[in-house]
Amino acid sequence: MSQGQILSAYQLRLLGSIFERGAEAASRALTQWLGKAVHLTISEVDQVDITEVAGLLGPEDATVAVCTMSFAGRLEGQLLLVFSDAAGLALADLLLQQPTGTTTAWTELERSAACETANIVGCAYLNALSTHLPRGDQNQGETLIPSPPEFRHEFAASLLEFAVMEQASVLERVLLIKTRFQADQAHLDWVLLFVPTPNSLGELSRIHP
Amino acid sequence: MAEAGGAGSGELFVTMGKWAVAPAPTLIRTLLGSCVGVVLYDRLAKMGGVAHIVLPDSRGDTSLPGKYADTAIPAMIADFDRQLGRKSLPRLVAKIVGGASMFQTSTPGMNIGKQNHEAVERILGSLGIPILARELGGEAGRRLTLDTSSGTVSIRIPGGTDHEI
Repeated sequence: MSQGQILSAYQLRLLGSIFERGAEAASRALTQWLGKAVHLTISEVDQVDITEVAGLLGPEDATVAVCTMSFAGRLEGQLLLVFSDAAGLALADLLLQQPTGTTTAWTELERSAACETANIVGCAYLNALSTHLPRGDQNQGETLIPSPPEFRHEFAASLLEFAVMEQASVLERVLLIKTRFQADQAHLDWVLLFVPTPNSLGELSRIHP
Repeated sequence: MAEAGGAGSGELFVTMGKWAVAPAPTLIRTLLGSCVGVVLYDRLAKMGGVAHIVLPDSRGDTSLPGKYADTAIPAMIADFDRQLGRKSLPRLVAKIVGGASMFQTSTPGMNIGKQNHEAVERILGSLGIPILARELGGEAGRRLTLDTSSGTVSIRIPGGTDHEI
């Protein structure tokens, strides 16, 4: 294990406060996109033992809908917007201005709506991180560039396993930053996961206030 | 039994970097993405095991033996030997599952699933353990269930139904 890439509790708190800025920006973008007040809050900034990763999104063999985006630039890794089926289909109803429960399956239209939502949330989040991360090496670009989202319907545990694989290849504990969503005082069953690569974890560990 | 619960407890779930060995009647489950699940089975003893392998090579790291192909497979065989009270190797057969590449990562070309598969094939070959079935690659995760009563391995992909290998 590369001990230099393990973050202290203080560094995790500092990262949490930086990622809150990302969540605030994504809240504003999502509220505009959905026409409804939505708040994103950082619920966890934690390093998790790889043997505990499988259950982080609930029952291991539950199928979830996920839009994945990789990002590159100063930091590299994965952003995953994960929905329970019911929550994802309800999002599609909201965007298509239909009563909740109208949509019952993931057709191309619902997948596209989910990916567009992920794109809006992800870009706002990454732009805010680019702005609020302390300046790095002058040779590095500060911008974080996302890939287009890909939609998947997956087992929760398989999804998490694949997402953390790059970190797991060199570490036994993996860093996950988990963001939850709230609308009308109720928690939405959506989760945004930020999963940096091992190199980016090293970069994050060098951040100071 | 090691790593994932008590023997004969009915149903065991194996997480990343762990393994389980149990006698019949036990269902041993795991969920795989790019990791490879190695199933070993002794038909006469009706004892089976599943390892959830994350990486091909430990490079001497012994802190989490279930994580690597070169340490997990010998550790699982040692568990068979301990539970059976004899050398299990001559009667073991294998099935291997997993190694998917599920979505684009920020490190293109880092196909760990394929590397895991190749390492597992090489290690099982060097031990003389016949591989009876394989289901590897693709873009979907898999739920693997071993029934130690029969040695049957059932696989389900998201949205699909169980099929046996």
